[in-house]
Amino acid sequence: MTRSIAIRAAAGLLGAGCVVWSAAPLVHKGLANLALVLAICGVAGGTLRLLLAGVPVPEDSFLLSTPLQAWLRFLETLRRVPWEEGAVLAIVWLEVLHSSRPWHTAVLGAALVAYLLATHLAESDASPGVLRPQVRVLAVGAALLALGAGAGMLPAAGPGAGSALLRLVAAGALIAAAALVLPYVASRE
Amino acid sequence: MSHVLGPNGPAPDAVGTAERSPAPGGSGGSSPRASTVSLQWRSSRHARRLLTLGLAALFVATVARRPEFAGLAAPALLLLAAGRSQPRPPRISLGTRPSTRRAFEGELVAIDLVIAGQGGCSVRWTLHPGREIEIAGPAGATTADGPQARFTFSPQRWGRREIGTVDVVLRDRWRLAEGHLTVNLPTLDCYPAPAQQRTQVVLSRLRNRLGEHAARTSGEGIEFAGVREYVPGDRQRSINWPASTRRGRLQVNTFAAERSQDVVLLVDGTSDVGEPGSSAIDLALRGAAAAAGAYLDARDRVGVISYHWGAVGWLVPGLGRRQVYRIIDSMLASERGAAGPAQGTSMRRLPRAALPPGALVVVFSPLLDQRFVETLRDMRERGFTMLVVDVLNADPPVRPRSTDRMARRIWRMEQEAIRFSLRELGVPVVHWDGVQSLDLPLARYTRRPLVASGSRR
Repeated sequence: MTRSIAIRAAAGLLGAGCVVWSAAPLVHKGLANLALVLAICGVAGGTLRLLLAGVPVPEDSFLLSTPLQAWLRFLETLRRVPWEEGAVLAIVWLEVLHSSRPWHTAVLGAALVAYLLATHLAESDASPGVLRPQVRVLAVGAALLALGAGAGMLPAAGPGAGSALLRLVAAGALIAAAALVLPYVASRE
Repeated sequence: MSHVLGPNGPAPDAVGTAERSPAPGGSGGSSPRASTVSLQWRSSRHARRLLTLGLAALFVATVARRPEFAGLAAPALLLLAAGRSQPRPPRISLGTRPSTRRAFEGELVAIDLVIAGQGGCSVRWTLHPGREIEIAGPAGATTADGPQARFTFSPQRWGRREIGTVDVVLRDRWRLAEGHLTVNLPTLDCYPAPAQQRTQVVLSRLRNRLGEHAARTSGEGIEFAGVREYVPGDRQRSINWPASTRRGRLQVNTFAAERSQDVVLLVDGTSDVGEPGSSAIDLALRGAAAAAGAYLDARDRVGVISYHWGAVGWLVPGLGRRQVYRIIDSMLASERGAAGPAQGTSMRRLPRAALPPGALVVVFSPLLDQRFVETLRDMRERGFTMLVVDVLNADPPVRPRSTDRMARRIWRMEQEAIRFSLRELGVPVVHWDGVQSLDLPLARYTRRPLVASGSRR
């Protein structure tokens, strides 16, 4: 019980930290305020969903009182909305609105992956030990994250011929990732 | 897409195929009933979140020409790509075994669930209990992890109860894909918890059949009846020596014969009023179950007649402990409306075997149905000795209006009149609240034999 509460709290804190990290310092362009509100709502909704995951829902709600029915409707909505996906999109959007700060973005990336992993552990009520097989891949990912941050600091990464090459590489990576991921997703739907 | 597996194989809406393997011991035996089911895997919410992060970051990297976002996408996409190679079994074997198929209200029952062929995937079970099923065990846990799980529960109300459903979620080692399965658990026959009854109402005129009740005639029982003069042929050991010394002639002890009686339990199922769990039918069934046990313990032959809106279902009086279960099964079948060979007969056309002449008829009824009351009067006029246990413990709801209060008073007076008319006919009516022992309301009639009227049938 203590472990599950701790993981839920960790997920909430990591989400809040990601929002603060991506929003600071505040900018006033590109619907930044809207993105900030969406990010806060996403993290808060996801944390609330995790906290209320254990609340049972009766199968029959016909004879229940109106406040109880409203509460059940709220729970149903809370459990159906993909809060974390919305929060991730809003956080990435907030980070984009800032000028290039590669190491800051790399730390945000690590925090976002940690947030998603903690959320998964909390909602499946699993121990952190289940992530042990993924440690090597996560280490490689961290290395790539650092490489990306390093690449962002290179002068060639600015506007110019080098950036066009980078765009091609990124697009190729996108296509490769999609090629890897799409059959995997399509086979489940 | 989730699968639904019924207790007898896959439900019609199940996706995939299921094969039944032999189940030695059957339900409730030593081996779980196993079925093989096909699984279709789908990406988990965790995978969808990682995909969102990876694609969003890649998109930004491409459009905004910022390579650090490509690095941000890397961990998520690497996890997704590497997780694709995890083995996911297309078929699993699933077994369910309830500890029993029949239980009394409030009795603890366990169900064992076993899964096989899941490989390295983790398994999570989530039990969704059915109606009137209360989870027992540590903190009422409805979830369990591992290839084997045991859930303990107790049915709260009589009837054929569905234990519920179990959601099985298999996750691969990287927890990026999930296989979902919903299993319908088998049904459970829940018997009404018998009330407490230790004493029996005994008729004054018993049938000439060996039993345990002391009859008025002398015989070979153990209850002392009196002393009479010795006649040749009497046993020497029954000589009462003190009495013989006093009177100067040989005197022998006489004993009461021990006989049994036929008891027919008449259960009125027409009106179910009151709170669920303590309604009139609940009390009638529990009282009838208690009476069946008490009379069968005294070696009486006990049968049952279930009355439903003019039609009856019946079970011929019989002996033995099994008869208790037959009686309860018969009552539950009548409550379910299960049509059997003895179902639907009119009360007037009951065979003598179902309602033997000279039998004691113990009636459990709220006496709300006028036709049933008329049936009781008719039976009384035909000479049956009856005893009515009134199981009405609810009043009509009343609003704070004078007309409602007046209607309630009139209703109460009508109920009193019904009971009074039955008493005037010689039918004792006792009220039972369902909480106390049945011995208490029946005490007045269990202390001495109930005078049996002559059968005119």
